[in-house]
Amino acid sequence: MQIETAILVGILFGCATYMILQTSFVRILFGFVILSNAANLLVLSMSGDPTGKSAPIVRDPNALMVDPLPQALILTAIVIGFGMTAYLVLLLYRLFLDQKTTNAAEMYAETEQEH
Amino acid sequence: MELSFYLYLAILTPLILSAVIALASPVLKEKSGWVALLSAIISVGSILMVAFKMELPGSVVVSTEWIPSLGINFSFLADGISLFFGLIVSVIGVLVIFYAIHYLDRGTRHARFYSSLLLFMAAMLGTVFSNNLILLFCFWELTGLASFLLIGFEFQDSSSRIGARQALLVTSSTGLLLLVGFIMVAQVSGSMEISELLTSGLPLEEHKGWLTAAMCLVVLGAFGKSAQFPFHFWLPNAMAAPTPVSAYLHSATMVKLGVFLCARVFPFFMELELWPQLLAIVAFGTMVIAAIFALLSHDLKAILAYSTISQLGFLIGYYGLGPVTGVEYDYLHILNHVFFKGSLFMVVGIVAHATGERDIRKLGGLMKRMPLVGITCLVAAATMAGFPGTTGFLSKEMMLKEIFDAMGSHGLLGLYATICVIVMSVVKVAFSARIFMNIFMGKEPDEIGHHYHAPSFALQVPPLILAACAFIGGVLPIIMEKAFALLTVPGINIAPGHLVIWHGFTPELVISTSMVIVGLVLYWVGQKTNWRWADIPKTFRFDFAFEYGLVAFSKATKLITSGLSSDRPMNYLPMIFAFLIGLFAFFFAQHFSSLDFLRVVEWKIDYLRAFVAALIALAVLGALILKRWTTQLISLSIAGFLTCFYFVLYQAPDLALTQILVEAVTLIMILLLLGRFPKSAERGEVSKRCTRTRQTFNTVAAVSMGVLMTLFVLMITVDPHPDPIGNKFLQQTVPLAEGSNAVNTVLVDFRGFDTMGEIAVLVIAMLGCLGLLLRYKRTEEEYKAGPMGPPGFGIDHREEGE
Repeated sequence: MQIETAILVGILFGCATYMILQTSFVRILFGFVILSNAANLLVLSMSGDPTGKSAPIVRDPNALMVDPLPQALILTAIVIGFGMTAYLVLLLYRLFLDQKTTNAAEMYAETEQEH
Repeated sequence: MELSFYLYLAILTPLILSAVIALASPVLKEKSGWVALLSAIISVGSILMVAFKMELPGSVVVSTEWIPSLGINFSFLADGISLFFGLIVSVIGVLVIFYAIHYLDRGTRHARFYSSLLLFMAAMLGTVFSNNLILLFCFWELTGLASFLLIGFEFQDSSSRIGARQALLVTSSTGLLLLVGFIMVAQVSGSMEISELLTSGLPLEEHKGWLTAAMCLVVLGAFGKSAQFPFHFWLPNAMAAPTPVSAYLHSATMVKLGVFLCARVFPFFMELELWPQLLAIVAFGTMVIAAIFALLSHDLKAILAYSTISQLGFLIGYYGLGPVTGVEYDYLHILNHVFFKGSLFMVVGIVAHATGERDIRKLGGLMKRMPLVGITCLVAAATMAGFPGTTGFLSKEMMLKEIFDAMGSHGLLGLYATICVIVMSVVKVAFSARIFMNIFMGKEPDEIGHHYHAPSFALQVPPLILAACAFIGGVLPIIMEKAFALLTVPGINIAPGHLVIWHGFTPELVISTSMVIVGLVLYWVGQKTNWRWADIPKTFRFDFAFEYGLVAFSKATKLITSGLSSDRPMNYLPMIFAFLIGLFAFFFAQHFSSLDFLRVVEWKIDYLRAFVAALIALAVLGALILKRWTTQLISLSIAGFLTCFYFVLYQAPDLALTQILVEAVTLIMILLLLGRFPKSAERGEVSKRCTRTRQTFNTVAAVSMGVLMTLFVLMITVDPHPDPIGNKFLQQTVPLAEGSNAVNTVLVDFRGFDTMGEIAVLVIAMLGCLGLLLRYKRTEEEYKAGPMGPPGFGIDHREEGE
């Protein structure tokens, strides 16, 4: 059981939730980046306590090594998270060009006034 | 030729020609009426051929498989009652189409009209000849659809649209009840074929309650179609249809389907106790109410519509009180009604066409201008009132005789029926007199002269034929007697007794004569008072309530929809998070006892990892607290790079490498993005504070999310699996994949397809990015016009509501 990882994951998820719930698109983007990190760490915690184990590079078959599967999954997740981040960045860029705003509340302010 | 050929020919000819007319409308135009007429004549001929080919009285079943596994087949039953109704439908169809050819003005959408009319005719013939309950239901609903098209023919008028909608909603929803009733019958009897049910009968003893419920549903279906109380309101509104449609659908055929259905199911249900009670009480009640409404109306078509409802009430109630052996004079009553009501509707159509007026108070003295129509109307109205020398008289005499018999056999119910019939007859005499006298007699109002144009002779022929039939049948009843005897169906009706004009001085004659006198007195009183008191009470105008109900229903659904949806996407995220948190909280509440480990387990901490974790947490909190975008980004990057270090501490060198690269590129990319935003955008952010409740919600959501995720991690790591699957990879990586780095071999060897999927995701993301970068060039005007407004294809849902 890795207490410090648990607490760290909790803090990261909390911060990500808070930022994603904001109306600023930039903050939502930051929240997303934190969220993907938090998810990576959550999966990583499943590989168990690494104390006294070596990296999963097999030289001596009897050596104690960490679980390689969560790492493989995270590696995929990091890359996909990056793809998503890149997409969000360009979406935000395009949004700003078209709407001249980076805030969801402002973007929908006009429709609100009409009603 | 086979009998089945003629039967199919009768039903399929109008169906096929309906489609032909619809498709060939640019070619046919106004000639489509003649095609329709041909089709109707073919149907009449085919049905007559069927009647000649089979032995009457008797029945023949023609069947083709449709869905045999469910017992649903294209099976048709030719017996007395279906031939009788089939002939009415097709013969009146011929007359109505002929009438319509001369009635419809040039320029109206003829093809559309005749196409719908033929579709309706095919559906009607299909309904009356159906031998399968489900097939009957299908045709039944098809008649409703076709009538919707016909009532709404002049869809520019709002009254047409409302009438069409009411008719469709009432008849199709009650039709669904009918379907349920049929299925319930099929459930206990095991068959959907009417002919089989007729021979085997329904298991009334074993499933009495079940079949009583089924009977109620079927009868409700009949009530809806025949506009019986409480569905009486749709028929008068359906009069917005062109007159030929009213004459055809709403007097002679479609509304008779309820009567037909009661006749069809009469042998099945008549032994149930509720059958006579339900039918007699509702139908005879409707009969009286509708007759009174007919007297209280001023619109010619409304008068006829209410009198139709009244007559249908009588016919349905008549089947309700029928004896076990079958009723005796149903054909006479139905045919009588077809004669006079079809004729009267056409007369009213001619009058309205010629004068442009349908309010009876503004008409009068037309006898001089239209003598032939006047005579037609006189005969038809006399038939309706039941004067001697018409089929109406025969019908009324028999009606009274039978109703007196019913008093003996049904006791109180019979008494109720008798009173209803007497009241109805008196009222009917009064409004029959009013229809003839106030249109054709008296002084002609001045306005009529300005508008009047003479109707063509051909237009006057169809009503004249019907009135003549009523007259000839009334003088020479022996003709009908033969036909009726041939058409009897065992269980439904029996051959009628000898019909004569003169029975001698019987009690019926005395009562009948006194009813005529009272009715004429009632008419005289109405004339004296100028019908000022005549108006239908608001409480009985269910159509208003129905329309309010419809509006309220659509408002309620709109309210629910707008209550459950939001036009602003960011309102959905809190819901999603709230749901997620709720889900997690529920999960922990379920496994609360497993959290006991928190007290038992020894708390050992790796200080290096704890230190790095604290730094990461600090950096992320910094990103949260700091105000400016760039400082937030730097703080975020610090957290990201520290995560690399954390990966190293977790013995994951590959992750650390990848994270460093990704983190660097992300930093540069977001930095580039922020560089494109002007300072004003960032300053604008600060002023956009969300509401206090939303702020509180965000904080609570964030904290609970954090706590729950911490608990989740503790829970999954407290008791690791003794032999994780990763060990297999470690053992196999060298022998199978020839690689010592287990993470690499998992990615490219063991789980190679996953990696391919990952690359595909990246390609898709790249294409998406490309799409976002390829923006069309806006014109200078568009730039000056400012932002393009919120996304969403320019649809604003709330606006529609206003």
